[in-house]
Amino acid sequence: MDAASCLRRRSPRVAGESVKMTSNFRWFLPTFTLLCLLSRVSGQRKGAPRDLKCTTNNLRAWDCSWKAPSGAGRSALYEVCIENRSPPCYRSGKTNTKIPTLLPGDHEITINPLHDSGSSLSRFTLNEKDVSFIPDPPEILDLSADFPASTLHLKWTDRGSVFPHHSRVIWEIKVLRKDSMEVVKVVTHNTTLNGVDTVHHWSWASDMPLECATHSVGLRCYVDDPHFSGRKEWSDWSPLKNVSWSTDSPGKVFPQDKVILVGSDITFCCVTQEKVSSAQIGYAKCPLIHLDGENVAIRIHNISVSEDSGTNVVFTTKENIYGTVIFAGYPPDIPQKLNCETVDLRGIICTWDPGRPTALVGPRNTSYTLSESFSGKYVKFKRAEALINESYQLLFQILPDQELYNFTLTAHNPLGQSQARILVNVTERVYPRTPSSIKVKDINATAVTLSWHLPGNFAKIKLLCQVEINKMNSVQELRNVTIAGADGSRYLAAVGRLHPYTVYTFRVRCATEPFWKWSRWSDEKQYLTTEAIPSKGPDTWREWRSDGKNLIIYWKPLPVSEANGKILFYNVSCSSDEKTQSFSEIPDPQHKAEMQLDKNDYIISVVAKNSAGASPPSKIASMEIPNDDLRTEQAVGTGRGILLTWGHDPNATCDYVVKWCNASQAEPCLMDWRKVPANSTEAVIESDQFRPGVRYHFFLYGCRNQGYQLLRSVIGYIEELAPIVAPNFTVEDTSADSILVKWEDIPVEELRGFLRGYLFYFEKGERDTSKMRGLESGRPDVKVKNITDTSQKTLRIADLQGRTSYHLVLRAYTSGGLGPGKSMFVVTKENSVGLIIAILIPVAVAVLVGVVTSILCYRKREWIKETFYPDIPNPENCKALQFQKGICEGNSGLKTLEMNPCTPNNVEVLETRTAVPKIEDTEIVSPVAERPEESSPEADPESQVVVSYCPPVVEEEVPNPGADEGGGASQVIYIDVQSMYQPQARPEEELETDPAAGAGAAAGYKPQMHLPVTPAAEDAAAEDGADKSAGYRPQASVRAWNLASPDSPRSTDSNSEAVSFGSPCSINSRQFLIPPKDEDSPKSGGGGWSFTNFFQNKPND
Amino acid sequence: MLPAAREPAAGDSWGIIACLCTVLWHLPAVPALNRTGDPGPGPSIQKTYDLTRYLEHQLRTLAGTYLNYLGPPFNEPDFNPPRLGAETLPRATVNLEVWRSLNDKLRLTQNYEAYSHLLCHLRGLNRQAAAAELRRSLAHFCTSLQGLLGSIAGVMAALGYPLPQPLPGAEPAWAPGPAHSDFLQKMDDFWLLKELQTWLWRSAKDFNRLKKKMQPPAAAVTLHLEAHGF
Repeated sequence: MDAASCLRRRSPRVAGESVKMTSNFRWFLPTFTLLCLLSRVSGQRKGAPRDLKCTTNNLRAWDCSWKAPSGAGRSALYEVCIENRSPPCYRSGKTNTKIPTLLPGDHEITINPLHDSGSSLSRFTLNEKDVSFIPDPPEILDLSADFPASTLHLKWTDRGSVFPHHSRVIWEIKVLRKDSMEVVKVVTHNTTLNGVDTVHHWSWASDMPLECATHSVGLRCYVDDPHFSGRKEWSDWSPLKNVSWSTDSPGKVFPQDKVILVGSDITFCCVTQEKVSSAQIGYAKCPLIHLDGENVAIRIHNISVSEDSGTNVVFTTKENIYGTVIFAGYPPDIPQKLNCETVDLRGIICTWDPGRPTALVGPRNTSYTLSESFSGKYVKFKRAEALINESYQLLFQILPDQELYNFTLTAHNPLGQSQARILVNVTERVYPRTPSSIKVKDINATAVTLSWHLPGNFAKIKLLCQVEINKMNSVQELRNVTIAGADGSRYLAAVGRLHPYTVYTFRVRCATEPFWKWSRWSDEKQYLTTEAIPSKGPDTWREWRSDGKNLIIYWKPLPVSEANGKILFYNVSCSSDEKTQSFSEIPDPQHKAEMQLDKNDYIISVVAKNSAGASPPSKIASMEIPNDDLRTEQAVGTGRGILLTWGHDPNATCDYVVKWCNASQAEPCLMDWRKVPANSTEAVIESDQFRPGVRYHFFLYGCRNQGYQLLRSVIGYIEELAPIVAPNFTVEDTSADSILVKWEDIPVEELRGFLRGYLFYFEKGERDTSKMRGLESGRPDVKVKNITDTSQKTLRIADLQGRTSYHLVLRAYTSGGLGPGKSMFVVTKENSVGLIIAILIPVAVAVLVGVVTSILCYRKREWIKETFYPDIPNPENCKALQFQKGICEGNSGLKTLEMNPCTPNNVEVLETRTAVPKIEDTEIVSPVAERPEESSPEADPESQVVVSYCPPVVEEEVPNPGADEGGGASQVIYIDVQSMYQPQARPEEELETDPAAGAGAAAGYKPQMHLPVTPAAEDAAAEDGADKSAGYRPQASVRAWNLASPDSPRSTDSNSEAVSFGSPCSINSRQFLIPPKDEDSPKSGGGGWSFTNFFQNKPND
Repeated sequence: MLPAAREPAAGDSWGIIACLCTVLWHLPAVPALNRTGDPGPGPSIQKTYDLTRYLEHQLRTLAGTYLNYLGPPFNEPDFNPPRLGAETLPRATVNLEVWRSLNDKLRLTQNYEAYSHLLCHLRGLNRQAAAAELRRSLAHFCTSLQGLLGSIAGVMAALGYPLPQPLPGAEPAWAPGPAHSDFLQKMDDFWLLKELQTWLWRSAKDFNRLKKKMQPPAAAVTLHLEAHGF
């Protein structure tokens, strides 16, 4: 009830507003209406048809169905009537019927069950909006697989003829993989229905090789008819179509031999019946992805570039190995630097650089096609391997009558292709080949014809060729030649302006007009041009011999540029008015001829001849016009040459001639000559022969009246140098206060410049004194005289001191510098008057003194006698000494007695009780080492009393060890030399003040110089131990003398005295008893004084 | 007591000298010392053996280079694939008893045929190689192998055996058909090198055996001297 009221209530409103509905709302409305309808139908009384539902699959007819009333039999017949339609009713034996499409708007439909009495009529309101549009499932015409490309191709028809309108169709395609029907791709595809059946295609490239698993494809569609206002729905899916790969081979890996781009992702699968244990690509193992059955796959991401033979992918089973090879590379790069040019206008060579390598070789290597668009022709380039360091090039044959070529170079490999283009006018791109077969042919001595071969068809264009001409020692020359082109022939070019008899080197290169590129230079061709007659006569000069009878003709060899060939000989002739004299065929190396001429005027002509002919004659007059006012001038050059100037002579009839020679050279004086044009007034004469420091003589000749006149005579130097020798000088005269020096000239060769003067140095000085060195160094005591008058040859030096040695040096100088000096020593003479006076005065004084002395002596002779020579008394008269007469008589020869007659001597009494070992020598013969205890002075029982008498007759005894053993009294006493002047009691004092010394002395024999028992002495003893132990050498040590020996009586007495005269003296002889070095000193019994002895004393010290 | 050396008479020493001179004079005529005659197949077998060993050495270098060119896993030391599709290659492996029972002719014929085949295959290999350096090495090896074939032919000729008939086709059907994938081609190349190596080993054994067989027993050279008057 509610539903019926709903329909009744809403329907008029719905119908009234439907026109205004928006398209969005239209969808909602039919749904709502259908619901109301169904509600109404269901709300009808039982027994009437219900649930009228209409759909369409083609928009041409509606397929309406309803539910039969309950209880209706199988044979029920229904009459469906549509209001306002013709025919209005349709009968149907089933609960559905097709009715033609109704116009938009509500239509009342009644369904009346005809043979069912229990059923009643049903009324429905039907609108297009209530109708659903569901197209039939599409039909797949074909599904095919391109296995190598892993691509599925789907083909189906849209059955467009079925639908009344053009409408848009959306197709949905799904791709399923494996038996488990995994959806791998769902894609929509839009088409339009256009009233006819159209077959559509769709392709899909699988990321997995299609061989790996079964692939299925399904399809459905949605027709979006804009005229249909009802509900539009997707069709059902079409039946699936499958694609699978079957083989009878035991196992295969896919894809096979595929070429892919580096960096791509790729899936490999192995189709096999066996269980795959592992898979690897290159060295890398990969995880397996299991597919249907035992099939497996591996997925490779970002594949890297392959080696030449490709990358191997291997699947390993228990029994087998299956694999494939993949080639990962790059598509061809755009060909770089494409350039097309021709060498011969027969073919065009295009070259290019392939750019980035593709990493693909062999059959997958890039192939190139060069196609020309105007002619449509092409050439191909294919190489199995990539070229390394080699240009890619293709030859395209030039077509007749075509100059413009539009080339496209296409590079192609399995991964793609690229192109480069170039448009060329072939006549403007000619790079000719290198000219070859150069030949040279003479035209004359100064012109040749050059010919060369240049392959190519240049008939329509002009050639621009360049001839390079090289001459020895000359700059190279380039000459351009334009030649009309020809077809492969030789080309000729005349080359003129050459020098005769000259070696030339030719080479050629060519280009075309308009210029594109020069060819490479041809090989060089050397050629010697032929000879021509010498262009000038030789440069001549003549010299008269000094006797004036013979004339020597000189000429210079012609320079190569004028000789024009090899000069074979010269012809010389001289002619005067009267006679002609000639010398024929003087061979080339000779460049002078001498002829005897009288004093007539002759014209001498010289002609040079080569194989081509004779040169024009060179003429010179023999006459020499004397010049009286000629004087020789001096000139100095600039270092390289010398400048000569002269006044202009309007009468000059020919060129000036400057000749020169070495001034010291013998006649004829001619080194060389030079002709100077007649209008010149100066000439710089330069020559390689000039040397600095050499004097040259230059002569300038003017030409007047067919004869030469010497105008100037100049001696000069190119550069002045200092003289190399010193002037040779001698001393002519010497007086007490002056010296006259004379010198000679220096020879010109050694002067090396114009003499400017001499420098004379002098000073006092002896030979061999070092003071003389550097005499000319400007010291104040050196006097210098500068002699600038070069004609002066003598010099007197005055104001000198007499009888004095002088050092003289003379040096010459030029503008080039000071020459070496010659030195000499001269002693001035003595002043004779002074000498005489100096001798006479002393002699006179001496004589005078002698005379006076003699007189005085004579007068005082008595006094002198008394004073200087008194009478000597007789000693025998001496009474004072009579008590000693016996003794005196026995020793009358002693001088002491003579010197001090009768003077009592001192008597020294030495206290014998006092043990003074220093003045005893009792132990001299007792080796301490043997009997050390005996060396003690206390142990010595016998001490002597020695009394010296006046004069004590003491016989010096050499201590004899053998004789003295036993301690016999000695007759010798030893005292210090100094003790003679000292109080004799000193030893006692010493003993008191220096008991240590006494103790030390008591140790044993103490010789006259006891070695010090000090540490220093110890060291010395230690050092000289070897020597000491050898024997007794006490006095030998000088050092010991200098040391304050504790044993020395004086050592403690005078400490301030460093020197101690340790050597004892005999009291009567006053001589050193033991000289410092007495090799013959008595032996002390073999080691009486020894190193051991020294040690023995040490504890007592 | 030592027996005193008997002084030879002057006539005796002259006789010894004359005898020595005669011997020297006749030495060039002794057949056993003359090498100008036919030396037999020995030297050529030795040469063939030497060539086989040389080729073994050469192949070792070439195979290393070529397997590296093929890439992994072909250059891996333990790579040992099944012999797929390499059935056209002559097999060198043979039962030891069978090998021992071969006679010289059969032995040489098998060698000759095998190397004829292998040479053809190797030339095919050379054509496919993409690397120029490798192609040069292969060409050099082909030349050497051609030399070995010539040597074997020479030995057969020396022993009086006829050469086997040339193959029906000028070259075996080595050129890969479209179905022959690059990987199978590489497998074939691998097997070609392997078989070649095995054949060279076998040939070395064959020729060593042949050499020993052909070597004459250590013949004592007896100088038959015609001592005229001695």
